[in-house]
Amino acid sequence: NDSDSDSDSDSAAGSEANGSETNDDSTNDNANTDVEEKVLKVAFNQPESHPQYKAMEALGEKFAERTNGAYKIEMYPNELLGAQRETIELVQSDTIAMSIVAGSLMENFNPDFTVFNLPYVYDSKDHQMKVLNDEDITGDLFKSTEGQGMLVMGAFHGGIRNVYNNKQPINTPEDLAGLKIRIMESDTNIQMMQLMGGVGTPMGQGEVYTAIQSGVLEGGENNELIYADLNHVEVAGYYSYTQHLMIPDYLIISAELFNGMSEEHQQIFKEELVAAIDLEVKLWDEGVEAAKIRAEEAGGVFNDVDISIFQEAVAPLIKEKVVGETAEELYRKVREAAAN
Amino acid sequence: MNFIKQSLDKVLGIFCVALLGFLVILVTWQVFTRFVLNNPSVISEELAKIVFVWLVLFGSAYVFGERGHMAIEFLKDKLPLKIKTMVEIFIEVVIFGFAGFVLVWGGIIATNLTMTQQSAALQVPIGYLYSALPISGVLILFYCLYNIVEIIKKMKSVEA
Amino acid sequence: MDAVQVALILFLIVGFLLVIGTPISVAIGVGSVVAMASILDLDKSLLTSTQRIFTGINTFSLLAIPFFILAGVIMNNGGIAIRLVNCAKVLTGRLPGSLAHTNVVANMLFGSISGSAVASSAAVGGTMAPLQEREGYKREFSAAVNIASAPAGMLIPPSNTLIVYALVSGGTSIAALFMAGYVPGLLWGLGCMVVAYFIAKKHGYKSDQKITFLQGLRVFLDAIPSLLLVVIVIGGIIRGIFTATEGSAIAVVYALLLSFIYRTIKIKDLPKILLDSTRTTAIVIFMIGVSSIMSWVMAFTNIPGMIAATLLSLSENPIMILLIMNLVLLVIGTFMDPTPAVLIFTPIFLPIAMNLGIDPVHFGIIIVFNLCIGTITPPVGPVLFVGSKVANLKIESVVKPLLPFYGITVIILLVVTFYPEISLAIPKLLGLVK
Ligand code: NA
Ligand code: NA
Repeated sequence: NDSDSDSDSDSAAGSEANGSETNDDSTNDNANTDVEEKVLKVAFNQPESHPQYKAMEALGEKFAERTNGAYKIEMYPNELLGAQRETIELVQSDTIAMSIVAGSLMENFNPDFTVFNLPYVYDSKDHQMKVLNDEDITGDLFKSTEGQGMLVMGAFHGGIRNVYNNKQPINTPEDLAGLKIRIMESDTNIQMMQLMGGVGTPMGQGEVYTAIQSGVLEGGENNELIYADLNHVEVAGYYSYTQHLMIPDYLIISAELFNGMSEEHQQIFKEELVAAIDLEVKLWDEGVEAAKIRAEEAGGVFNDVDISIFQEAVAPLIKEKVVGETAEELYRKVREAAAN
Repeated sequence: MNFIKQSLDKVLGIFCVALLGFLVILVTWQVFTRFVLNNPSVISEELAKIVFVWLVLFGSAYVFGERGHMAIEFLKDKLPLKIKTMVEIFIEVVIFGFAGFVLVWGGIIATNLTMTQQSAALQVPIGYLYSALPISGVLILFYCLYNIVEIIKKMKSVEA
Repeated sequence: MDAVQVALILFLIVGFLLVIGTPISVAIGVGSVVAMASILDLDKSLLTSTQRIFTGINTFSLLAIPFFILAGVIMNNGGIAIRLVNCAKVLTGRLPGSLAHTNVVANMLFGSISGSAVASSAAVGGTMAPLQEREGYKREFSAAVNIASAPAGMLIPPSNTLIVYALVSGGTSIAALFMAGYVPGLLWGLGCMVVAYFIAKKHGYKSDQKITFLQGLRVFLDAIPSLLLVVIVIGGIIRGIFTATEGSAIAVVYALLLSFIYRTIKIKDLPKILLDSTRTTAIVIFMIGVSSIMSWVMAFTNIPGMIAATLLSLSENPIMILLIMNLVLLVIGTFMDPTPAVLIFTPIFLPIAMNLGIDPVHFGIIIVFNLCIGTITPPVGPVLFVGSKVANLKIESVVKPLLPFYGITVIILLVVTFYPEISLAIPKLLGLVK
C-alpha cells in the first residue's frame, strides 16, 4: 500500500497561531450565548493560504453561525499539532476534533481506500469529486473506520500530481529513464515510478530541496501548489503534466465527538461541509493558477504530456492493487461513473 | 536486585550496540542501493528511523540506570548530605512517575490504539513500533527503584 | 484554564525541577505533561505526550547526530583526529588559541554541510576537546568555543531551518535565503574567533615551537588519509552522491576503515565505542524528543502567540518593535527548538516586520539567528548539552566561559537586525532580491 505522512509537506508552512482569541466578536448578533461554546481543533499540514484551509475557515464560520455559537472551529496549520499520520491518532483518541489527511494514509487503516489513490483512476477533478462524495459509493467505506475511533466526513480535492525534474521536459517514459524522482514512501509508488520509466526514491519532504540541488535526486512529483510553495521550482525547473495521481484529502473527525453531537448539528455540519468542499474545488483552480504564475516567474517551464502512454504503462499496477471483492466493486463503480 | 541490574545492563548494552551498528550499515546500504544499484530501497528510511527511536529509548533507559542523564546539579551538590539524599530520592520518584505515567501508561494506550494501523513502508502495525515506549518505560521504573535503594545504602554507609 | 495559567504551570514546574537537579529531559517532560493535563483529560495528555516523544525522535535528519558522535569517537581512538589537528597547527602556527580557531572553522564547515549544529558540535567538539587539553587549554574554554561556534553552520547554507522559514513565510525564495545567510553565518564564526583570541591570549594558549618547512610537510603528508575523510564526506554531499544525513554514516564507515588500516582500533574495541556513542546519543536525543511535548503544548495553547501579542502592544516605535521581537525570540528560543519556533513565530512576526518595511529574506535571517542563539543557552539548549557532554563537563561549568560568546553573538544579532545589507547584499548582487 502507499502512504506517507506527507502527501505534501513534512515541514509545514505559513501559519496563524495568533494568540489573541476574540471568541465573542463575530457572530454575536444572533447570540443567545447561554450555550457553552465547544472549541473544535483541526490539524492541518499546509499553510493558511491553502484552499483547504480557507474552505475549513468558511465551514467554521457557517457552522458557528447556524449552531448559535455552540461550536467554534480552530485551525492549526503548518503541522503545528504534528505530521498528518500523527494527527490521525489524536483524532482517534478525541484529543483533537478533526484533521485533514492524505488518502494514502487511510490505506493503513483500511486497504480498500487504495482504490481511490491509484494512478489514473479518475478522468478529471470533477469525476474524482463526484465519486468520492457520492454516498452510494463511499458511504460504507467512510464509516468503516468508526471502530478505530474516527469517521471520514468527506473528501477534498488534493490536486493532481505531476512529475518535475532538473533535466528536461518529460513526454515519454524514456525521458524519465534513470532520473531519480522523489516519491512518497511506499511500494506502490516505487512500482508506479518504475513503470513510468523513472527511479522512485522515497525521502522525507524536508530534505528534497537540498537533495535535488546537490544532485542526489533529479526531481519529485507533486501538485503545482506544493511545487511553488516549497520552492522546488528553484532547483527543478521542468514541470510536466503527467497527471499520474489524484490523491484526495479526507476530513476525518473523532467518532466520539461526532456521535455526541445532536442530530440537528450533525446535519448542519454535513451540509456545510458539502458547501466547503464546493468552495475548495473552486479555490483550488485559482490557487493552481497563482502557483503556476509564481513558478513561471521563478523560471519554471510547464509542458503538457500525452498521458495515454503513461496510462498504459501503469495499467499492470492497477490490476495488481485492486484486490478483494469490496475493492473490485469500488473500482468498478469509479470507472462506471467516469463513463457517465 | 544487583544481579538483575547487572544482567539487564548487559542485555540492554548489547541490544543498543547492535542497534547502532545496524543503523550505520543500514544507512550506508541506503546510499549503495540508490547510487550504485540505482534501485532505492523502499524500507530503509522508515526502518532507520524506527531503529533510531528504539536506540534512543532503550539507550535512555540504560543511562537512567547509570543516573547519567544531564542535569543542573550545582545547587544540589551544595546541600547537606541528608537533604541531598532526600532530594535525590525525590528526583528518582519524579523520574519513576514520568516513566510510569508517560512511557508506560501513555505508551500502552498508544500501542493499543495503533495496533490496527499499518506503517507505510514496513507494513507492520504501528503498535509494534510504539511498543518500545512502554517496554523502555518499565525498564526505567526498575532502574529508579534500584537507584533509590542504592542512594539509601550510600547514605547509610557514609553515616556509619 | 487559560493560556497564562498553563504557561505559569509549565514554567514553574520545569524551573523548580531543573533547580533541584532533576534530569533536564524529565523536568521538561513533567512540566509539559502537567500543563497539558490541566487542559486535557489525563489519558489524552499521556497518549499525546508519549506520541510526541516517539515522533520527535522519529526524524531522519536527526540520524546525523549519532553518526557524527560515533565518527568523532572513532577519529579520536583511531589517530585520525590527532593528525588533522597537527595539520591545523602547522597552518595556524603561533596564533594564540590556534586550536580554538581550528575548532570554529571546522564547526562552520561541518555545520554548514550537515545543517545540524548539534551534530557538528558533537563531531568536532568530541574530536578536539582531548587534543586541546593536551595543549594546555582549559576544557571549559574549549567546550565553550565549540558550543558557541556550532550554530554558525545553521546560517551558512544549506540550512534546514531556513527551508522551513521559506515555506511558512509564504514562499520566500530559498535560494535568496541561502545567499543571505552566508555573511551573518561567517560573522558569527568570526565573532567567536575574536573572543577566543583574546581569552587565549590572556591565558597564554599559544604554541611556542617553531616548525620547519620539512616538519610541516611531513605532518601534512601524514594527515592526507585523514583529510580525505573530510574530502570524501563533503565532496560526496556536494556532488550529490549522498545527502548530508547519509554522509554522516559514510564518515563513520571511512573513519572505521582507516582506523583498521592504522591498526589503532580492533574489532573487539567496537562495542565500547558504540556504547559510548549510544550514551551521548540517548541523552541528547531523548531530550529533543521530550522537548517536542513542550513545543506541542505551546502550539496547542498559543502561549508564544500570547506572549508576543502582549509585548508587541507595548510600543509602536519600529526600533522598539524590532528589539521586542528579538527579545521574544531569544527568550522563547531558549526553551524551544528552532523548527517549531520558526513555525509558530513567523506568521505572527513577519506581517508586522513587513509593515515596518523589512524584507522577508532579511527577516528570515533575523529569526533564525535568534533561534540559533537559543540552541546554546540554558535551560533547553541541545548544542549546549551535547557540547558539554562530549567534553565530559557539567552544563553549569560551561555556561560561565560561554558568557562572552553570548555577548558577541547578541551584538552581531543586533548588527544583522539593523543593517539589512549584511544579509541582503549577496542576494541583491545575484538578483535574487530586489
Ligand atoms: Na548549513
Ligand atoms: Na536554549
